[in-house]
Amino acid sequence: MKEEKTEVKGALGNVYIVQRIATLVAVVAMFFPSFNPAKVCDLVNENLSLFTSAISYSSLTSDCARAFRVGWIDESVFILLFVASIIMLLGIILTIAGGCMSVGNNKMQKTGLLFSMGGALLIIVGAVLCIAGYTMAQEAPKLERVKPEFPSAIIIYIVIGAVILLLSAFLYMKLPKPAKDAKFEIESKYKLFLMFMPFAALAFVFCYLPLWGWRYAFFDYQAGGTLSVENFVGFKWFAYLFQNAATRSDIVRVIKNTLAMSALNICTSWLPMMFAIFLCEVKNMRFRRFVQTFTTIPNFISWILVYAIALSIFSTDGFINTFAKEFGLMSEDALGKNYLMGDSFTWVKMWLWGTWKGVGWSAIIYIAGISGIDQQLYEAAEIDGAGRFQRMWNITVPGLLPTFFVLLLMSIANILTNGLDQYLVFMNAQNKNTIEVLDLYVYQIGINGSSIPLSTVVGMFKSVISVVLLFAANGVSKKLRGESII
Amino acid sequence: MAKTAQEKLDEKREKEYKKKHKKIYKTKPGDIVFNILNYVFFILFTLTCIFPFYYLFINTISDNDLVKRGLINFYPKGLNINNYIALKGVNDLGYAFLVTISRTILATILMVVASAFVGYLVTKQEMWKRSFWYRFLVITMYFNAGLIPWYLNFAMLGLTNKYSAYILPAIVAPYNIILVKTYIESIPAELEESAFIDGASHMTVFRKLIFPLSKPILATIAIFGAVGNWNSFQDSLILMQNNSQLFTLQHRLYIYLNQSSNIGAVMNMGGSAAAAAMEQALNAKVIKYTVSMVSIIPILLVYPFMMRYFEEGIMLGAVKG
Repeated sequence: MKEEKTEVKGALGNVYIVQRIATLVAVVAMFFPSFNPAKVCDLVNENLSLFTSAISYSSLTSDCARAFRVGWIDESVFILLFVASIIMLLGIILTIAGGCMSVGNNKMQKTGLLFSMGGALLIIVGAVLCIAGYTMAQEAPKLERVKPEFPSAIIIYIVIGAVILLLSAFLYMKLPKPAKDAKFEIESKYKLFLMFMPFAALAFVFCYLPLWGWRYAFFDYQAGGTLSVENFVGFKWFAYLFQNAATRSDIVRVIKNTLAMSALNICTSWLPMMFAIFLCEVKNMRFRRFVQTFTTIPNFISWILVYAIALSIFSTDGFINTFAKEFGLMSEDALGKNYLMGDSFTWVKMWLWGTWKGVGWSAIIYIAGISGIDQQLYEAAEIDGAGRFQRMWNITVPGLLPTFFVLLLMSIANILTNGLDQYLVFMNAQNKNTIEVLDLYVYQIGINGSSIPLSTVVGMFKSVISVVLLFAANGVSKKLRGESII
Repeated sequence: MAKTAQEKLDEKREKEYKKKHKKIYKTKPGDIVFNILNYVFFILFTLTCIFPFYYLFINTISDNDLVKRGLINFYPKGLNINNYIALKGVNDLGYAFLVTISRTILATILMVVASAFVGYLVTKQEMWKRSFWYRFLVITMYFNAGLIPWYLNFAMLGLTNKYSAYILPAIVAPYNIILVKTYIESIPAELEESAFIDGASHMTVFRKLIFPLSKPILATIAIFGAVGNWNSFQDSLILMQNNSQLFTLQHRLYIYLNQSSNIGAVMNMGGSAAAAAMEQALNAKVIKYTVSMVSIIPILLVYPFMMRYFEEGIMLGAVKG
């Protein structure tokens, strides 16, 4: 494929970059509720972004039913805001199209610039309409209810629109006129990137953007409040974690639970391997298949369902009790006990549930590993008189060790991450102290207790330590095996 | 059919081999004990995996009165499916089903198509800054900001209590993208090249060539994705706090389970009020079993047919790991 080089170089290229950045800002801001130019009064929900205001009139007016009914404000204001939002959305879409076309050939770029200019104009028109909406809101009959406030986002959008408009116009004049018979073309490398871009955007929004939430760790934030200079507290919550006696003892207890349960799992991580080795000693393929199928099922049901099963077997009216009652296996006093309550052996119980759920599944990888071991090794060992256990220990186990080692390192890297579901569902008033792992603690104080800054701090520590551990584990793996695990 | 000399020789060798090995393969008493113990262990363990499901099931199809008295332990009595029919009347559950089924289908389809497409794009060396963008995706597997920032992010984007919060984050799944990419790389490059020479565009090559050829891996990630969506609980619990119509099935079940365990706690207090509570608790028990069963059944039904894909999935992960 022959493609002409189309990149605009030098000063003009820099102008292009500024124009693209301005477009990008407009696009990103569209999804943030704090940059909603349509929020001209208190009746507009503060969680509403420009994008949502433009696509759904019902969200825009979700808090206004009463206001319209009793006439605090005229509905025409909101219709105007809705129209303004739609115009701005269209404008932004046009600038996106223009921005995408700017990586094409000369003809593509010229047309793209027209798109950008049109889009920028629409953005400015929409912003002006929002100002009009604001002025109308100021004349509303019941001002103390409507509380009009001028959204700074309007200014931002007008500035962005103006920047895009001027730069695009400038570029349009400077770029050479395309030949009459020129076709629309984009270089293959940019075409591929343009196709990739939406997915990169999604990954950015849902995986990278949450890091922006770390800023809450530095504020005295209450749920539903706002972040501002007044409630900026610097490292207060970091210090609080270590200075406040109650929190400190909580943390110590939670870390103890976390490490204990992770340690139990790590110390018994050879179980799936043994499971696989012994299962492969079963020579009847049909039986082996049967066992494999049914022991992997628990892995695919959620922890909620595991808990449902636990209840049906171990609770007051569960299988253990009814069975014992039917056959008179227990004295009357021992009956009716709920084995899920109580805080004795919580760590072991949790480990048992985890093992029940996961061992069959984790064994599959080893079973596959065993079938990859050279059968001649076994035959040779047999002729040399090695017994069953000697063969297992000297041939099978060494064959599986590399896999085991990788999984072990991964579980060490994940030592602070036990997951939330299991502990949340099995938690009750009596075992709360011994079951609360780090993930559950963060959930409890952050979502249930709504001390968001503190739980963000705990989460930050956890994330950072986990990453450090992962790289350490990777380093160990590289050194010992010459292979990385990530 | 006449046997060739070679075949005859082979047969003879095989016989000799067997004869020689009979001595070695002679079953020793120790082996018998070992085999028995081995079988017994696996039978018992498999039973602990099957029995709870069976127990739940027989309790849902038996006479509720017998269930109340705890008489259904090993086989159903008084067969009926009234409990399942009764669930129709529970409105919450209807919504939960609708939400869970629709999100499972929608999110899985989008995830599979996106993974296939992105997996294809990142195999293209000529893409602008390809290795950077690929790493940009892969890094997200090893790092996350934490639960609370994750939640605050959804709140900031105005996605809390919205159905789209189930779908949008599920579309880009880095791990699946890696799997698909690895798979596509194993497809002979000549196929693609000849298509390009014939003038096909990237889109055409993807649609007509790559997508059909990578069906095995796509089936595998689809199965995993679907199971994950079906079992999803955390996003419903944390993101849908003010919109109970969007609770997933697992979340509903969690609520039911907790309700009945509260009633169970009342029972232990004794007294006359306890009798009424008991009545209720035991009805709750049946309801709880039935709802559990209903949310397990789809997985149990799908499972045997999909076992192959599940195993392929874990092996692919191992290759990568």
